[in-house]
Amino acid sequence: MTTAIQQLPPAKPSFAARLQKSLFNSPLDCVISVVCAALLFYLLYQIIDWAFIASIWRAEDVALCKAADGACWSVIDARHRIILFGLFPFEEHWRSTLACIVMVATIVASCFTWFWSATRLGLLWLCGFGVFYILMRGGMFGLTGITPERWGGLALTIFIFASVSLIGMPLSIVLALGRRSKLPVVARLTGLFIDFFRSLPLLTILFAAAVITPFVLPGWLQGDKLYRVIVGFAIFFACYQAENIRAGLQAIPPGQDEAGLTLGLNYWQRVTRIQLPQAFRNSLPSIVNQFVITFKETSIVTIVGFFEILASGHAAYGTGEWTPHYVEVYVFIGLIYFAFVFSLSRYGAYLENRMRVGHG
Amino acid sequence: MTRNIGKSLIGAASGLALALATFSTPVLAENGDTLKAVKERGSLLCSGHNGSFPPFVQVTDDNKWSGYDIDYCRALAVAVLGSDDNLKVVPISWAQRFPSLQSGDVDVIIKATGWTMGRDTELGIQFSVPYFVGATNVMMPKELGSTDPEALDGGSLCANAGTSTERLAANFFKSRKIEVEMITFEKSEETREAYFAGRCDSIVGWGPNLAVTRQSAENPDDHAMMNVALALEPESAAMRQGDDNWVDIVNWMFAATWIAESKGINSGNVDEHKANPEDSTVEKLLGVTPGIGERLGLSDDWAYNVIKQIGNSAEIFDRNIGAGSVYNLDRGLNALWSDGGVIVPMILD
Repeated sequence: MTTAIQQLPPAKPSFAARLQKSLFNSPLDCVISVVCAALLFYLLYQIIDWAFIASIWRAEDVALCKAADGACWSVIDARHRIILFGLFPFEEHWRSTLACIVMVATIVASCFTWFWSATRLGLLWLCGFGVFYILMRGGMFGLTGITPERWGGLALTIFIFASVSLIGMPLSIVLALGRRSKLPVVARLTGLFIDFFRSLPLLTILFAAAVITPFVLPGWLQGDKLYRVIVGFAIFFACYQAENIRAGLQAIPPGQDEAGLTLGLNYWQRVTRIQLPQAFRNSLPSIVNQFVITFKETSIVTIVGFFEILASGHAAYGTGEWTPHYVEVYVFIGLIYFAFVFSLSRYGAYLENRMRVGHG
Repeated sequence: MTRNIGKSLIGAASGLALALATFSTPVLAENGDTLKAVKERGSLLCSGHNGSFPPFVQVTDDNKWSGYDIDYCRALAVAVLGSDDNLKVVPISWAQRFPSLQSGDVDVIIKATGWTMGRDTELGIQFSVPYFVGATNVMMPKELGSTDPEALDGGSLCANAGTSTERLAANFFKSRKIEVEMITFEKSEETREAYFAGRCDSIVGWGPNLAVTRQSAENPDDHAMMNVALALEPESAAMRQGDDNWVDIVNWMFAATWIAESKGINSGNVDEHKANPEDSTVEKLLGVTPGIGERLGLSDDWAYNVIKQIGNSAEIFDRNIGAGSVYNLDRGLNALWSDGGVIVPMILD
């Protein structure tokens, strides 16, 4: 009888009981807990006071900012168009806004499983990217042309991220497969290529793409500085992503490939039906991780003179009466980055969960 | 001058870029190339900034470039192309300036660039006459009662770490046997905050930057500049070496704004002066008698257009840095020589 009672799972302790056990178990625990809680509330109060209570909100109230104890959100009210759109012509901001919405919608749509086939995903991105590009660049359908050196702010950050992913992802698959090729020449060359670009800092690659390539490449191959930088960035991205995918490929037992071979599947059938789907699943966390890193690293292009969101922020506070309010601008930009990166990583977590369920 | 944006990294990258750039280019430009290229392209490519560098390069509320250097870019566009509609401001970083000029990404750099021998002789670039002089100076509270360097004896000085201004200031006070404790910060924002928070008695920086700092104070009138400058840096426009015609155009574009100021000609009264020129210099400047255009390969009314559309040097200063702007900086050494400054217009004959 007694054994049967012992086998019952222990009753789940109440919230209060757990709190008591983990925070107030001894007098010393009590003191530490109370001090920490007080400190936490004090900090929280300070932040809320700074951001909401003692803060100034409207651009017209800039005169009050110097005396105010809290944040001066007036700088955002007055200058948010510079943070979001950079140097994009004022009258055409609706185009930049629409372009951003289209791009974000494309990214969100490609998260739905319905789009997960090469044709659907390809078509979706071709359309989304095309609309984005036409809206930004103009020069057709009665839109005035706007050259890339005037693009900026959030729109440019999204453009760089999207095009780096778009070029980099297929390239990374090619590189990963190339490195595992049975032909020694192909395997060695791709290996060398990957290791070469991985051993260079991103800054150097971007600087070379922006500044040095015009000296080396013939005129017709140069293109705009923005596209050179994106290609450089995409190669860098692809080299890292290729190693992530290769890790996923190597985790697949070789027997599966051999089984495919005995069934008479050719190379492409084996790659697209057996290897790649499993490789993606295996290395999903690191693939998502690479996307997150890339989104954040887009800010490095400011060094080669692009007005992405961080540079735009710098320009937003870098004038006249706004110079003291850089903290507010950085907080605003930080929130934008957070919104994007947090949704990316939550989506990654959801995918992992979902695949594990499917696997089980 | 103090620019602290991941200096070492940028330095390394730009060093590499410059090394490769100088290594692989036919450095010299042909005489007349730039003007021809600008006219064919129909637009002038001038340097902007990746962010802002008030009051020289900044962005207005409606997303347009403005500032002292930008106004001279506009003036050059007007001189060459007749209007500033076709000025393209290319945002470039400090490190990228000279490689961008060499690769043709910009036609000219007008961007608070100091004339140094290394740049002049080793980078394949040519400088214009200085159009601005920037003093490195120390700002201190007026409540010290004096703006002499001695007033800081036993006090402290905020500076940006590892910059030339920090060394300048240390040497300056050491040579005068004044005890000043240096407190250094990595970012210029931190330096500024520290000064306003009272962590140090004074702050050292490049004059225009200090003026921007002062203007952001709770009460700008509480702060004053030290009455002795630590150093003076001549700022010049930079062009590709070998294109003498282009250098001439940029030099005379600056000169036209100075001559106009010395003759009292501004954007408001230029038409009256053109109708009734008081002397032969004004006649030549405004294109009443021919010569000013042909010798540079431009039209004879280029200087008239510049003054009409952009203004003379006093207007440009006033609008961007002086009393007409929020910075309200005294013109000081940047006035014409006749007003006690160091700017000397060349002679138009």
